[in-house]
Amino acid sequence: MSIQEQYKKRVRELLSSGAVKMVIGYQAGTTADRRRPLFIRTPEEAEKLVLDSACIANLSGYLVTEGLLSDEKSVGIFLRPDGIRSINILAAEAQLNPEQVVILGFDGNDKEVTALQGEKARDFSAIIASIKEHAPEAPRNPQLEQIEKMSPKERFAFWQAEFSRCIKCYACRQACPMCYCRRCIVDSNQPQWVNTSSHTLGNLEWNVVRAFHLSGRCVGCGNCDRACPVNIPLRLINAKMAGEVLGAFDHFAGMSETQEPVLASFKKDDSETFIL
Amino acid sequence: MSEPFEPKIVAFVCTYCTYAGADLAGTSRLKYAPNVRIVRLPCTGRISPMFILKALQKGADGVLVSGCHPGDCHFTHGNYHARRRWTVFRALLEFTGIPLERVKFSWISAAEGGKFADFMNSVTEDIRKLGPFDQYQGLINETEAPATL
Ligand code: SF4
Ligand code: SF4
Repeated sequence: MSIQEQYKKRVRELLSSGAVKMVIGYQAGTTADRRRPLFIRTPEEAEKLVLDSACIANLSGYLVTEGLLSDEKSVGIFLRPDGIRSINILAAEAQLNPEQVVILGFDGNDKEVTALQGEKARDFSAIIASIKEHAPEAPRNPQLEQIEKMSPKERFAFWQAEFSRCIKCYACRQACPMCYCRRCIVDSNQPQWVNTSSHTLGNLEWNVVRAFHLSGRCVGCGNCDRACPVNIPLRLINAKMAGEVLGAFDHFAGMSETQEPVLASFKKDDSETFIL
Repeated sequence: MSEPFEPKIVAFVCTYCTYAGADLAGTSRLKYAPNVRIVRLPCTGRISPMFILKALQKGADGVLVSGCHPGDCHFTHGNYHARRRWTVFRALLEFTGIPLERVKFSWISAAEGGKFADFMNSVTEDIRKLGPFDQYQGLINETEAPATL
């Protein structure tokens, strides 16, 4: 039985036994290589489910939809390892109760997907630990190395050219499972921290703030990067900051549901070579 | 004739250590560069990176952030939290091409009036040498509707 059929069966079982009230998965999208989210509420609706290598979006953000989990019923959700890490962060930041999340885990490459064994986020901790262990030697984006070699002036010019296209649509924020604040700092206007007009200064400020608020929380799922209508390479900033927190604080986002957020914790002997 | 360049520098300091250090510099009648505008906050833990961006947005040529030495925080660990935040924020500034010579961090205690005066002088000199922050000024000038304070 293909993994898709296996999981369809599992979804039907979960729904008909009442173990979950809904399953969040994928269905066919507008083009052959696109998938869109599917919210399955009855066993019959499971027929629409698609699970293949084109299922790349991290769906965990739907779990923090207002009121979804407040009845204390469980919800099933299809997640890759990065999505499972998001669940851990959301749990560690008290945004959801991981006991209410039934994970239908899968992983794979651009050709095929395989099932991951487990049900609760903690069942996948060995997989996440091994991703962390291999993170330092994972191949880095060559463009990242290129940017790091530039002089500050060149880097400034590079990012200005990228950010100048930003239209402040905030799709990157909406698509990110970690951007759940009811009131984002860019929406606050007393004081107005960030210029709202999509001029270069405000664009730079917005992108710096977004990246800062996701430092040590981003799981690299790529939702933001794919959502950006003007193709700003947000993956580069995200990858850079993930590398920084790993190097400086040995912090890998989403290890467990009790992991302390990196910027809400400290060690007395954290490095401080730059402080005069 | 154009006037010689005088850098505008904003310093965010905590009230218990660095601000008291500034006070000591004053009462000891130490002279230091008048280019630094001090903003006093309850703790380095209260100094959001947004403040740094705001200062640059309003045309600062340089920004200083200073507080109590590790272990001396009035609130016991505000400065430890701040230190992590600065580490991350600094890396981000560097990656986006903002010169790190323009954003400096230090620990200055209430007893270090001399260190305070020296630090203000040396940073002012460094930034004077760097010249005005033209890159950022260019961005500010392009913005038709500048953000309010
Ligand atoms: S910042 Fe982007 S890559 Fe990181 S968790 Fe959010 S959506 Fe995913
Ligand atoms: S999605 Fe892209 S264009 Fe939209 S606000 Fe984010 S960076 Fe700017």
